[in-house]
This record gives sequence, structure tokens and C-alpha cells, in this order.
Amino acid sequence: MSEPVVEPVPLPEHQAQVGREFPGGTYALAPWRTWLVADTLLDDPWDEVPHPVLAWMAGVSGMGMTWDELFAWFDASATDGPMFGEHHTTLHRPLRTGATYDVSGRIVSVVRKVGRRAGTFDIVGYELDLHLEGAHVARCYNSIVFPRRGAA
Amino acid sequence: MSARGPEGVEVGTLVPPLELTVDPEKMKVMAALLSDPTPIHFDTRALAELGLDTRPINQGPLNMGYLQTALTRWAGGRDRLLGFRVRFAGNVLAGDVVRAHGVVTALHETDRGRVATCDVALDVVGGATALTGTADLLIRPVDESEES
Repeated sequence: MSEPVVEPVPLPEHQAQVGREFPGGTYALAPWRTWLVADTLLDDPWDEVPHPVLAWMAGVSGMGMTWDELFAWFDASATDGPMFGEHHTTLHRPLRTGATYDVSGRIVSVVRKVGRRAGTFDIVGYELDLHLEGAHVARCYNSIVFPRRGAA
Repeated sequence: MSARGPEGVEVGTLVPPLELTVDPEKMKVMAALLSDPTPIHFDTRALAELGLDTRPINQGPLNMGYLQTALTRWAGGRDRLLGFRVRFAGNVLAGDVVRAHGVVTALHETDRGRVATCDVALDVVGGATALTGTADLLIRPVDESEES
């Protein structure tokens, strides 16, 4: 979203979601997964070290709910055309093929903005943590942009 | 085990650019891997109904991944990425050629070794910038520093 925006507008109806924890779960970096992910990236699928994008993928795949369920927390759906906004990954330790990570996460922010061309949209921030045998391996922050066509 | 990191890195050193052509078949695999129901990544009829270009829109993680590939190849391995922060500025469509690139803006000595901070971007060749941000890469781990 590169266009100028006016001041953020509070979004009280969804502010209550801030702090809400995902159910959480686990995610295994099975060799077939690391192979296919590298292949989709046109990278070397035989490299034994998992591609770092798997930190985020492990988080969202192990967060314990579907995308549709997450979108529904914000009265949105996949057909609304939700988009990525920002992404941060911090890797405290390298990922390991074959490891099974514990995943936890939560909603950290909800903001409404109005763009001159894009109209009204909501930006939802969430973070995901990966732990392995009690050690913090990675944290990913991401924001999703929900177009709110027809909103004031 | 990673290969050794790059030599002679200083502020202003360029990360070798990586150019790739975006393949819509890979988007379908990624949608399945992510259980991502968003039809703009694979359903050309849905794109037409939304009034969009009928070329599928690449997933954000794939765009991030291209950039991470360029960075980690330069740094000496996939285990060299410590931090990655990007903003999604535009879409990448099936068939686009993208160019991932970066430049070193700072160097730090840390308890894990020597770290290069880079400004990074993913551009659509002949088009707009899709991703901009920064990344921290371990270019000389402590164990390798001790060997040299």
C-alpha cells in the first residue's frame, strides 16, 4: 500500500481481538515439505537446510486455525481479497529439517486507514512464535490488509 | 554446513542480483502447502470476476522467499538469515520477471559473529517495486572468525 493515507481511524468493533491468542499447535519440517517449498521458490530442493521462508510458513500452518477462520475474526473472507502488508522475521536459531516446532501466536494490532485511491481498509497485525524443545527459534510478525469496500 | 561467507564486505557492497520468472504452477503448489483458499493465486475465472488482470497474483511468501534466496546465497547459506523486514508495495503476476537485490548499509560484530545489515528490494523487471525492506545476515560466524 504505497499511496498516502490520512490519519488512522480507531476500529472499536475489532479492537477486542487484540491480544487474542491463536489455538496454537505444532508443525513438522518434514523433508517432503522443505523440498517442495524450495522447489516452489525455484531454489535448490536438495539443500539440507530449510529455506528461511519456512519460519513464517511453519507459524501460519501450526497456528491451529484456518485462514478462513482467521479472516472471520475480522468479518472478512478470502473473496474480499486480503493482502499482505508487512512482514518481519527474527531467527534466533537456524531451522532444522525433520524438527517439529511448537507454534503459538496472537493478534497484536488492528487499525483502520483510509487511502485516497484504495478507500477504506483495515490492517491486522499478528505474531507467531516457534519453539523447539523449549528454546525460542523464531518470531514472525505479519500484517494483513483487509479491503473494506463500502465502509465509511 | 554452510559455505564460507562473502569476503571483503563493506558498506556499499552489492548483493548479487537474482532474476527469476514467476511460474503460476508453483503458486498452485504453494496454495496447497499453505491451505490458502484465496482464489487470486490460482483461479483465472475468479480474477476476471474481480475485474483484475487474469494472470494469477503471486503469494507474498513466494516474493519474500525469492529475496531471501538471493540474500542467503550471497551470505553463505540458508542458516545465515537472522532478521528480515519487508513491506509489500505491489503485486507480482504470473509470467513476471522479478529481480531480487540488496546493498550493505552497516556491519556489526555480535556474539554470533559478523552481521551485515542490508537494504533489500524485489522489483518487477520493467515494472514496479514489489517489496522493500532490510535484512540482517550472518556473514562470518564466530567459529569461522576464529579459524581465520
